[in-house]
Amino acid sequence: MEPHIYFDEVNERQGVFHRRTFLIGGVLGIAGMALTGRLLQLQVAEAARYQTMASQNQFRFRLIPPPRGRILDRNGVAIASNRPDFRLLVRRDEVDDAEGLIDQISLLVPVTPARRKQVLRDLEITPRAVPVAVANDLTWGEFTRVNARLPELPGVTADMGESRVYPFGGAFAHVIGYVSKVSQPDLDRAKKATPDGQIDPLLLHPGFRIGKSGVEQSLDAELRGRPGGQKIEVDSVGRVIREDPAGDRKPVAGSDVVLTLDADVQNRALEVFGEDSGAAVVIDIHTGDLLCLVSAPSFDPNRFVSGVAEAEYRALHDYDHQPLLDKSISALYPPGSTFKTMTAMAALQSGLVSQHDRIQCSGQFFFGGRYFHCWKAHGHGSVDMAEAIKSSCDVYFYQMALRIGPDRIAEVADAFGLGHTFDIGIQGQRKGTVPSTAWKKRVNAKNPANQTWFAGESLSYGIGQGALQVNALQLAVMTARLANGRKALLPRLIKSVGGVERPRGDQFGDLPFPQDRINIVRSAMASVANDVGGTAFKVSQLNLGDIKMAGKTGSAQMHGYGNTGSGAKERDTTHLPWRLRDHGLFVAFAPYDDPRYAISVILEHGLHGTNAAPKAVEIMKVALLKDPDMRQRIERPLPEDRSAPGTDGTETDDSVADPSETPVPPPPQPPVMGRPTPAGARR
Amino acid sequence: MTSSAISRPGQRERLTMKLPEIDWRLALALCCIAGVGTMMLYSTAPLSWKPWAGPHLIRFGLCFALMLVLSLIDIRVWFVLSYPIYVLALLLLVAVPVIGHESLGAKRWITAGPLSVQPSEIMKIGLVLALARFYHGVSAKDARLSWKLLIPAVLIAAPTLLVAKQPDLGTAILISATGLAIMIMAGLTWRLLVLGGLAAIVGAPAFVMFVMKGYQRDRILTFLHPEDDPSGSGYHILQAKIALGSGGFLGKGFGLGTQSQLNYLPEKQTDFIFATFAEEFGFLGCFTLLALYGVTIAIALRIASISHSHFGRLSAAGLTATFALYVVINAAMVMGLAPVVGVPMPLMSYGGTGMVTVMVGFGLVEAVRVHRYAEITSGRGSLLL
Repeated sequence: MEPHIYFDEVNERQGVFHRRTFLIGGVLGIAGMALTGRLLQLQVAEAARYQTMASQNQFRFRLIPPPRGRILDRNGVAIASNRPDFRLLVRRDEVDDAEGLIDQISLLVPVTPARRKQVLRDLEITPRAVPVAVANDLTWGEFTRVNARLPELPGVTADMGESRVYPFGGAFAHVIGYVSKVSQPDLDRAKKATPDGQIDPLLLHPGFRIGKSGVEQSLDAELRGRPGGQKIEVDSVGRVIREDPAGDRKPVAGSDVVLTLDADVQNRALEVFGEDSGAAVVIDIHTGDLLCLVSAPSFDPNRFVSGVAEAEYRALHDYDHQPLLDKSISALYPPGSTFKTMTAMAALQSGLVSQHDRIQCSGQFFFGGRYFHCWKAHGHGSVDMAEAIKSSCDVYFYQMALRIGPDRIAEVADAFGLGHTFDIGIQGQRKGTVPSTAWKKRVNAKNPANQTWFAGESLSYGIGQGALQVNALQLAVMTARLANGRKALLPRLIKSVGGVERPRGDQFGDLPFPQDRINIVRSAMASVANDVGGTAFKVSQLNLGDIKMAGKTGSAQMHGYGNTGSGAKERDTTHLPWRLRDHGLFVAFAPYDDPRYAISVILEHGLHGTNAAPKAVEIMKVALLKDPDMRQRIERPLPEDRSAPGTDGTETDDSVADPSETPVPPPPQPPVMGRPTPAGARR
Repeated sequence: MTSSAISRPGQRERLTMKLPEIDWRLALALCCIAGVGTMMLYSTAPLSWKPWAGPHLIRFGLCFALMLVLSLIDIRVWFVLSYPIYVLALLLLVAVPVIGHESLGAKRWITAGPLSVQPSEIMKIGLVLALARFYHGVSAKDARLSWKLLIPAVLIAAPTLLVAKQPDLGTAILISATGLAIMIMAGLTWRLLVLGGLAAIVGAPAFVMFVMKGYQRDRILTFLHPEDDPSGSGYHILQAKIALGSGGFLGKGFGLGTQSQLNYLPEKQTDFIFATFAEEFGFLGCFTLLALYGVTIAIALRIASISHSHFGRLSAAGLTATFALYVVINAAMVMGLAPVVGVPMPLMSYGGTGMVTVMVGFGLVEAVRVHRYAEITSGRGSLLL
């Protein structure tokens, strides 16, 4: 069976082997050249590209949150700023036994059981690579103590960040709002806002807080700034190997926001409310700048920054004075008698009524089969327009409203800003209702039977009741436009963002009213506050020399006005529980001869406007005394030549008037000193 | 064949006569490669003898001694033992699925007391010896094309299928490719090769789709489109390419390769040690290293070609082919020219079994050189110890 191999065959086999081996060697040589070619491609031709990719592997940027922009008042006083905050962070992906770790930490710094529960839950739900704050607001002593023990606490970092602080506490709580932890809805919104669905990593940083209401929310993007990065070298599982300080990127701080508010006026306003509930708004009637936009009672926004406790929130929420509600823009009230200024304007505009037309007030007005009462049971006697405003005679305005109808009133109210929202840069304004025949058709579109306007409705409309609803800001704008007299000025809250001035809106439209008609109402308002017999006489004295206020009181019924009660007694709500009492309202401007500031005050369940007026006086005083022109006027020296008074005043006027600003209306006629009414001042 | 000093009776077994006949250039080249490997394992540890560089060097020392001992054993002993070794390896391969122990999802090892062996490694040697033994007794005409060639075909196919079943695709490819290389060197007709090649091109896609296991198929598909999945299966290839490319022309320097030091490079001490080297020593280093491997292969093929016996020629050339295939497949894999199949870089990659096989192979190559004039009478039992 053995194959017989001959000599020549042996030679042939060897020859074949040599040729084939040589060939295989050649193939290997070609393979070697191919490998070399590939090496040339990767290591020479494309080296730069792969070097970039290697450094992308090697280096990461650790996020450094930017300092949030401050919020300042008009004088540069910080009303929201930042303070250093020492805290402890834990990263889930570096911790095996979270409970044990927190036990260890609690030996060094206090960790309450509630906090402990919260941290364990946070560790569960946050992404593994995102650090969670275990303890905030450590003292320097605690911070250094923990720092010294860090090597024994794997996964824990001691972080020195910044935390938001509101130095004035509640005074600005509703306007500037507050920042708080980023919530899941915030993240969802952020995801939707970006085209690629990527969340800004800053939002996931444990120290980051997002604006939740007010200016903090509406200007969050501007206040936020741009995060910086700390260059670090990481290995394939993300452990930090080295830090590279030379490669750090500085964070860009958020823009500072300057508001038109004045911290002194705002603080005083919250102060004068005390435990009362309500709102106050002050407007500069030349510029529309809001000096004060306050809602009382308030809450401490600082409590919300690190997360308010459930019980505390519940207490705020359940309190019947509603501290969480912004009563300056988000709450609606019937304007009550403050609206009589509008009814008077509408009557003059209609051409159907002259200011000298007299109405006989007997204390009640019989219409539609029943009596509509005046607040004064025995009546005002014969009153003209000025007297009716001064003494707030209801019967006069019942009759006026009846004569001119609702649509003329609505037209005037609309021109003065009622029923409007204004672009002041924060959310939450409520429009309210300015009724008219068209409005009634619109709201009852599905119920044709209810679309008819009844004359009886006009009666309560005329005295600011019925379906009419306004907010405190609208009332302030209304008063400011009355005081300005010529321009339909618009309120402004945000003065500048990052040094860029926000449009002032001084291209205000003109008010479509002849000057003399506005003057009639304005001088009547002056006598409300300054004449014996005016409803706010005594309670609205500024005691600042010849700087006096002009105003109008109002009380807003909680229940049907005038058409259910049978006498003035029934309208006294003093005996009722607090939340059923009438609201007290007061609108005013000052100085009455050369208006500069307008104010509206709403005192919830304050019975009557005379209770709101003293608060307006206190707030207005601060605004006036902070105005250098006013101070000059108040503190001017006695003229050298006492025989020529008045020259001084004219000079002041010239210096006040900035030619670029809205024209200052000429001083109205000296207030018409109505005949002293025997009845005297109300209350 | 004519006589020489070494084949003369009585002088055959003299150690002093044999030692100078060892090819010391080849030994030196192997030492250089192992030295480079040790250096890289030290660098990537990082800069430590533990856990890889020290053991690697010690193992190489032991394997080098084993190689010297094997080079002194007469090739006629191997000639006689060739079929028994093959049969033993085959039996062990058959036994692996039954008594083998599993690691990383594949059964490749058999443990006997303190000793664990990988039958596929024994088969790498056994197949070469068996094929060389077979062709030793076959005429050139029959080696070209005849029914007798069914025997080597079965000799190759049996272990290939068993190893592929483990599954160990890399070794299966290596075994079959080595066998094919020996058949070619023995004189297989080109016509059959071309036909087979065409059949492979047609059949390969079907093989990939229907015969391969899921993860094997994924590796092939990933190899074709690595950028599709940079953090999954494409990760290995991409990170290796980044390591290579970022090394540039001169490299980042000893101990300074970021890809390997920061563990972005997977298997940096085993299959991807070449990438570790490339990152730190650049194109210049890689070219030098490939040249070193080339010189080693050239020396070994030269040894094969000067052997007087057909068995010596084919076994030396076959073992060299195995070594060359290791180098080319591993380098191509690291450079992204071949799928990731788990083939180490011989003498550089950390791992004991691979090194033993390689050094036993070179021991046989050296033995062929030392006994290049030995006459082997064809046929069974014609040689007595």
